[in-house]
Amino acid sequence: MSTVARLFNPIVRISPFIMMALLVMPVMGGLIGVMLPAFGWIPALDQTSLSLNGFSQLWQTPGIGHMALLSIGTSFVSTFLAFLITILILASYFTSPWLGYIQRLLGPILVIPHAAAAIAIGFLITPSGMISRLVSPWLSGWNAPPDWLYPHDAMGLSIILGLTLKELPFLLLMALGVLAQPDLGQTLRAQHKVALSLGYCPITAFFKVVLPSLYPHLRLPILAVMAYASASVEIPLILGPNNPPTLAVAIMQWFHDVDLSLRIKASAGAILQIQLTLFVLACWWLLEGLVCQFAKSMLTNGRRDYGGAIIQKITHVITALMMTIIGLALVGMLLWSFAGFWHFPDTLPQQVVMLHWQTALQQMHTPLIDTVLIALCATALAISLTLLTLEAEQHSGKSLSLLGSVLIYLPLLIPSIAFLFGLVWLLEQVNSQHTFTNVVLAHLLFVLPYVFLSLASSYRRLDPRFSIVAASLGATKAKIFFRIKLPMLIGPIFIACALGLAISFSQYLPTLLTGGGRINTITTEAVALANGGSRRISAVYALMQMILPALGFLLAWLLPKMITKMLIKRHQQG
Amino acid sequence: MQTFASTAKSSSTTTASVLTIDGLILRRQQQDLLSLSATIRGGEILTIMGPSGSGKSTLLNWLTGMLPAGFSAEGQLHLNGQNITTTASHLRHIGLLYQDPLLFPHLSVAGNIGFAMPPSPKAQRQTAISEALTQVGLGGLEQRNPQSLSGGQQARVALLRVLLSQPKAILLDEPFSKLDSQLRQEIRQLVFDQIRQHQLPAIMVTHDQTDADAAQGQVISL
Repeated sequence: MSTVARLFNPIVRISPFIMMALLVMPVMGGLIGVMLPAFGWIPALDQTSLSLNGFSQLWQTPGIGHMALLSIGTSFVSTFLAFLITILILASYFTSPWLGYIQRLLGPILVIPHAAAAIAIGFLITPSGMISRLVSPWLSGWNAPPDWLYPHDAMGLSIILGLTLKELPFLLLMALGVLAQPDLGQTLRAQHKVALSLGYCPITAFFKVVLPSLYPHLRLPILAVMAYASASVEIPLILGPNNPPTLAVAIMQWFHDVDLSLRIKASAGAILQIQLTLFVLACWWLLEGLVCQFAKSMLTNGRRDYGGAIIQKITHVITALMMTIIGLALVGMLLWSFAGFWHFPDTLPQQVVMLHWQTALQQMHTPLIDTVLIALCATALAISLTLLTLEAEQHSGKSLSLLGSVLIYLPLLIPSIAFLFGLVWLLEQVNSQHTFTNVVLAHLLFVLPYVFLSLASSYRRLDPRFSIVAASLGATKAKIFFRIKLPMLIGPIFIACALGLAISFSQYLPTLLTGGGRINTITTEAVALANGGSRRISAVYALMQMILPALGFLLAWLLPKMITKMLIKRHQQG
Repeated sequence: MQTFASTAKSSSTTTASVLTIDGLILRRQQQDLLSLSATIRGGEILTIMGPSGSGKSTLLNWLTGMLPAGFSAEGQLHLNGQNITTTASHLRHIGLLYQDPLLFPHLSVAGNIGFAMPPSPKAQRQTAISEALTQVGLGGLEQRNPQSLSGGQQARVALLRVLLSQPKAILLDEPFSKLDSQLRQEIRQLVFDQIRQHQLPAIMVTHDQTDADAAQGQVISL
């Protein structure tokens, strides 16, 4: 313990800097690594003069406008829909126990990786998917799969469906988190009651009283999901059109092209992607301003009911529809993974076989081990750095500066497609040959912010008097950290671990790029299988993507109880 | 002091208001919490006293139609001869005054009061709001943010908000408990005067004997 005690304070002191360096250097380096080739500077291709060739190549790409529009349209519409449904659900069930039930049903959707969600939705809406099977032949008269283009429709409607279903639980849980804050939530509920007692129908009361106070807390999550949606790769890759795809998918294809000169265009595309993301955010900001201007006078016009009963009925229908889509998608995927021969209009497969699971499990042996190892390494690093940084905060008595807190979330704010390629280039420059380490470090960029977000509040809220009492009993800071704080925070730490693992499991682009094709995870394999190959094997992979994070959360729920019980027993015996 | 808005005066003085609680039994799960019957005429204040946990707030929740899950009630509620036992909260016309003013932070002082008023032409509403504010000594504060007001000023705005919504009865949930003693007396007098002038039946829940004395009405201890 004495060496630990001696080394503990210096380690704590430097850990915030290590954490910042591990987050900021790859992102900034990656951005520079994309900027330089975008302006024509690629030493590997003997191009070292600055030019705008990349951008003129980009403008000349057929369908570039269409790509940009598709990215803008799908991210804006999906975020708008997710926000609208979130608000409708909150308004309609604000005082009803149903709000809690919906939260519990939608919560698990959050940890389903985007790729798995996209695969499940693809199975649902594909011509021979669950939807067309359920209505055939009795309603539609189809005896063969219908001739429609879903998924992969040119308008991006499938992308919008996928993104909306993934964004909705996030926004809803964020809103419920705000309402769960003791002061704010109680005040808003009391103000809602006041509005009811003043004769406002529940829905109008929500819109006129609760929403204006709630919205400012939702603005950042909304902008975050929209920024993510505008540059995401997995869902447009699996559910989107191919010709042309969204800009982010196109950039990825150019980077992966055997023709290395396309890298210049891809880098220019990454710059355009950043601008496009900013443009979508600006559109939302503009819309928000317009709505505020328009709605301001309506707040105090005294009208108490704008068809609340009808809105409520519509919300019932939308909520039921959402739940049905999610349920059908999951059931459909489960059926495919066990399906033998499955004739078209039949709702259920003729035979149930274990074959696909057996085949897939044999195939996924190495990727599965790699997935878990990478996730464990990235999460262990993230948890250690987070705990030490939070401890450093308490040693110095100062909480993280605003700049520091923004920097932590930097990898989530900047579209990853825009800096990951630069990062790969950077890793090539520093000759970092160890692929496994590269992948872990790339995952850390995305795991760390979430782990920090999940642990910070419980660590900061821990009653400081426990440490003061322990210190007055002669305990060193190291002893207080390991023997008092960590055991008291065992629950939140395990939840943060499960979250970290889930984030790592779901990473597609970082694994694909930094792994350089040498390291495959369940997620990269699932995406590769989604657009071809066997639908049945693909279903197994997507299910595996859901089982892994679920296992993580199950363990995070069970282990702290068992460990606490064991510790108490040992103390009683000792 | 006079009544605030002419519209409020006409609506409350023409009908003889009466709130009747008829054979109420409130239960938590299967257990009886309280039973109560009372008739409150316009301008009268019924005071309900009792320690915490005696069912005071459950009673208010029942009166406003917001009984939470796990509670059940038997009995009827009549307002001006109309049975409103199962009427939705927002259609009962029962105003509420809490210990916190609960002014809406996104609206100005005038906005908060305007929110409560029935729809009418904008100019007319603004005049009514300004008149009402002047009469409680808050003239000229229309455009202020409610959070910038003192506790006493906020309490007055909350009172105006309830009164200008033209309620048919009013419930007071420990309305003065967060005010210091001098302010408390002042606001209490103002609220009670207004209730009497508007001839509103009122029910006040409190644990303060001086509130009960000042109300000069029937007192029920739970």
